[in-house]
Amino acid sequence: MIGYLKEYLDIRMLATVLGLLGCGLVCVYSATYDAGASDILRRQLLYAAAGTGVMLAALLLPPRFLTFISYPAYFASILLLVSVLLLGKTVSGSTSWFNLGAFRVQPSEFTKITTVMALAAFLSGRGTELGSFRNLAIASGIVLLPVALIMKQPDTGTAIIYLAMFIPLLYWGGAGRFTLLAIAAPCVAALTALVGITPFLIAVTVLGILIYLMKEHRIAAAAVFSFSVLIGISVQTVYNGLKPYQQKRIDTFLNPGADPLGAGYNVLQSKVAIGSGGLFGKGYLKGTQTQLNFIPEQWTDFIFCVPGEEFGFVGATLVLALFFLFLTRGVWLGSAVKTRYGSVLAIGLTSVIGAHVFINIGMAVGLLPVIGVPLPFMSYGGSALLTNMAAVGLLLNLYAHRKEH
Amino acid sequence: MAIQEDIHLYQRRRTLYGVIGVLFLLLLGRLYQLQLLYSEEYGKKSEENSIRTIPREPVRGYLYDRTGRLVVDNRPAFTVTIMPFEFDVRNTHRLADMLGMEEADLLDRLRQGEAYSRFQPVKVKRDVDFRTLSAVEENRQTLPGVDYQVESKRFYTTRAVASHILGYTKEVSGGQLRQLGEGYTQGDVVGSAGLEGRYERALRGIKGAELSLVDVRGQVVGSFEGGRNNVPSVEGNDLYLTMDFDLQALAESLFTGRRGALVALDPRDGGILALVSKPDYDLSIFSGVTPPEVWRGLNADPERPLFNRATLTRYPPGSTYKMILAVAALERGVVSPEWRVQCGGSFRMGNKVFKDLHVHGSVNMTEAIQRSCNVYFYNLMLKVGLDDWSRTGAEFGFGKPTGIDIAEENPGLLPSTAFMNRRYGEKGWTRGFLPSLGIGQGELGVSPIQMACYAAALANRGLSHQPHAVFAVRDKTGGGIDTVRYATRRIRLAERTWDVVREGMRRVVMEPGGTAGLARVRGIQAAGKTGTAQNPHGIKDHSWFIGFAPYENPRIAIAVMMENVGYGGSFAAPIAGMCFEQYLYGRVVRNDPSFDPASTPMRRLEQRIPPAQSRPAGSAHAPASAGRAP
Repeated sequence: MIGYLKEYLDIRMLATVLGLLGCGLVCVYSATYDAGASDILRRQLLYAAAGTGVMLAALLLPPRFLTFISYPAYFASILLLVSVLLLGKTVSGSTSWFNLGAFRVQPSEFTKITTVMALAAFLSGRGTELGSFRNLAIASGIVLLPVALIMKQPDTGTAIIYLAMFIPLLYWGGAGRFTLLAIAAPCVAALTALVGITPFLIAVTVLGILIYLMKEHRIAAAAVFSFSVLIGISVQTVYNGLKPYQQKRIDTFLNPGADPLGAGYNVLQSKVAIGSGGLFGKGYLKGTQTQLNFIPEQWTDFIFCVPGEEFGFVGATLVLALFFLFLTRGVWLGSAVKTRYGSVLAIGLTSVIGAHVFINIGMAVGLLPVIGVPLPFMSYGGSALLTNMAAVGLLLNLYAHRKEH
Repeated sequence: MAIQEDIHLYQRRRTLYGVIGVLFLLLLGRLYQLQLLYSEEYGKKSEENSIRTIPREPVRGYLYDRTGRLVVDNRPAFTVTIMPFEFDVRNTHRLADMLGMEEADLLDRLRQGEAYSRFQPVKVKRDVDFRTLSAVEENRQTLPGVDYQVESKRFYTTRAVASHILGYTKEVSGGQLRQLGEGYTQGDVVGSAGLEGRYERALRGIKGAELSLVDVRGQVVGSFEGGRNNVPSVEGNDLYLTMDFDLQALAESLFTGRRGALVALDPRDGGILALVSKPDYDLSIFSGVTPPEVWRGLNADPERPLFNRATLTRYPPGSTYKMILAVAALERGVVSPEWRVQCGGSFRMGNKVFKDLHVHGSVNMTEAIQRSCNVYFYNLMLKVGLDDWSRTGAEFGFGKPTGIDIAEENPGLLPSTAFMNRRYGEKGWTRGFLPSLGIGQGELGVSPIQMACYAAALANRGLSHQPHAVFAVRDKTGGGIDTVRYATRRIRLAERTWDVVREGMRRVVMEPGGTAGLARVRGIQAAGKTGTAQNPHGIKDHSWFIGFAPYENPRIAIAVMMENVGYGGSFAAPIAGMCFEQYLYGRVVRNDPSFDPASTPMRRLEQRIPPAQSRPAGSAHAPASAGRAP
């Protein structure tokens, strides 16, 4: 019986997800304990139940239906993104929500899945080797279309997630190292140029060496290199042309410490929370940073501070370990699924969740700038939780059908 | 799928595993750094964030009078504070308005406190009224970092003012802060004059600290670890005074509208019974916040109310000083008590004439004291000489501080040959200076406290005690009582000398022809000496009287000095007499025809320490937990 179950149900993945979900509820309870937000845990429980339902539904979808629905779902979500820009509700300066009665829905969350599905459908089609520039351009277009719409909201965090998941997906889809470099190089050049001239020069030097080592065609190499340098140089001009509030947003992104009362304050308090946890933490519901609300809306993007402060290094490591198990299982699944569509989909969904994990925790521990993305399964938030649970349902679905061609 | 494809797949899987592994190691390494390497630093920061150390002011020690009555009490006062690191400077204007103070003042205080510590509350306004307090309380949400503390302020239970002996407490000044050092911070209250100043260390107590948890808005949400680490404040020690505040109150009332000073001592131990300096000031204006204009007004007042005339002045003593010359003459054997002088109302020396008030005829020493004959003492002074006279004065304590237990004291001026030579040059002065000094005029300066000690020494036949107002201190931590010890010395004179001068003093008060009949007390033998000190600044003379009572076994010695009123016998003497009555009978009896001295025993007002009483905590301090209005 158990052997049969194991054949069709990925118990390991399900267990890690349920473990993370449990950790999340424990942490949300602590973060909202006595903070005048008692409603939040109740809602999160509701979302978790709904998410489990969505997960089961996704698990039971027939594989053929999945491939069939990929493109229509993608275009439908693009339409939703357009309409949210026109009709949406503005929350903290960003228009990314729909009001549906008491609940608000964030289409950019669901679009993550549909985009991955569309990419999987595209890459599993006949003659879609990523070696060709045309196919690469189409794949990029599939990703950049929602990114452009989301940037318009603007929701930088979500947009960055799309880009972060795109690179492993390309790699999995068969793109060469040079192709990956060609995509990453202009982004890195642009970012470092905004930070300062020295980082930019270092980045350009490293880039030059990498391109030289790859021994690609000289013209292609020169094109990638000069394009990156050009982007880097022109970024300052573009920056100067931006409106002050846009400039400020970029500044805060690059240097949160410069705004200690805004985003920088959160990182500072988050580091204090995690650092003061020590090896075993201050004890559940005893973290002063958490309980006394030093981190605003901690139950959303800074939920990782709770295990860090109240359960210390041990608790934080446990959470990391669960995510590690989940992500490696996702990658394993990508190699175990027989269909190309399923393989790309598995890697794509795992990448989406992995990007969230690294960006969120990296931000909480002060390694990355403050980018507002939630921690999967743990942060409070219905849209994100339902999306992630749907992704888990799809992964479980792929596992169940992994041996089918 | 092709085998080639599978190999690629496994390679890629391995790469992704590697990437995930590296990223997790990076996060793990960072956690190791934050939580294990630097956890102490972050722990400290998190404490700074959330744990507030709120100092708790100790209850200042109480002051009791000689019978054990409470005279200086404490009452709660509310002080508005600002926690500098939480305070939004944009709120300065609003808060200044609320507190009714200048915005610049507020910022100034904030900055001074901030320089000390950003995490310690700065007292910005002391003793606010209830309306201000409510306004602050109502606006806590929008005024982050603004809070209040319960402190105590002095409350005086007696009718007497006693400003110069008790002294006042006021907010510590920058200079005092540097001087006092450890344990004092800006905004603290410190004893600044009189006993409050002198016994500051004993009265103050030790500050406590209360550790509270605060949330991100700085609102206290509870005590830290249930208050286990709180440090309770230690109450200041109580002082037991030798003073009789009924006598003090009477003495003050007798000086109404006058300038001058009065010191009454218990000659048996040097305990101060009353100490008056007029004009004085109401101590209660210092108990809370003293408006700067009031302070400026007191300082600028030409009558100088803050100036302690009882200890800081240097008046010529006039005829009250004649006993010094008498003692010097008798002790050196210059004359016998029976030596007589014919007083014709004036004394000529060279071409200079020294006057007397009356023509006294032939007087011996006792009569000369009794009637205050100047001519007798002019003659005697020339016989005794400057230095023997000066040495006798020094023996009685003139020219140096008495050692009274309040800080401010003037040593006075007692001339000698050496002094005159220094001052005028060896050829610059002549014996022509001497007759004036012989009757206590000229270049001679004494303070009322010195004169009271002089009276006490005469009363005691030479046994002289250091004057003091505190006879015991109760240690509030141990509960023990320390009796304060004071110096005692004996002025050794022949018994006969004491007899002569004391008899002269008795006659001054008791016999017809004495100059201080108004000091007489029914049923009691008293003694004394009047003085009328010429005032070099014109107007009227200063009126002096020193004396003691009863003549045998004296219980009170007194020095009275009233500025610019006239004869000692007319102004100072009756005041002394009424003080004798008050102290010895418990009331002024001179205008009471029904008073019968035969049936009225003399009062014995002995020093008494009341049993330790646990004063209700609320009387001075609301308990810390109740410090916050609901």
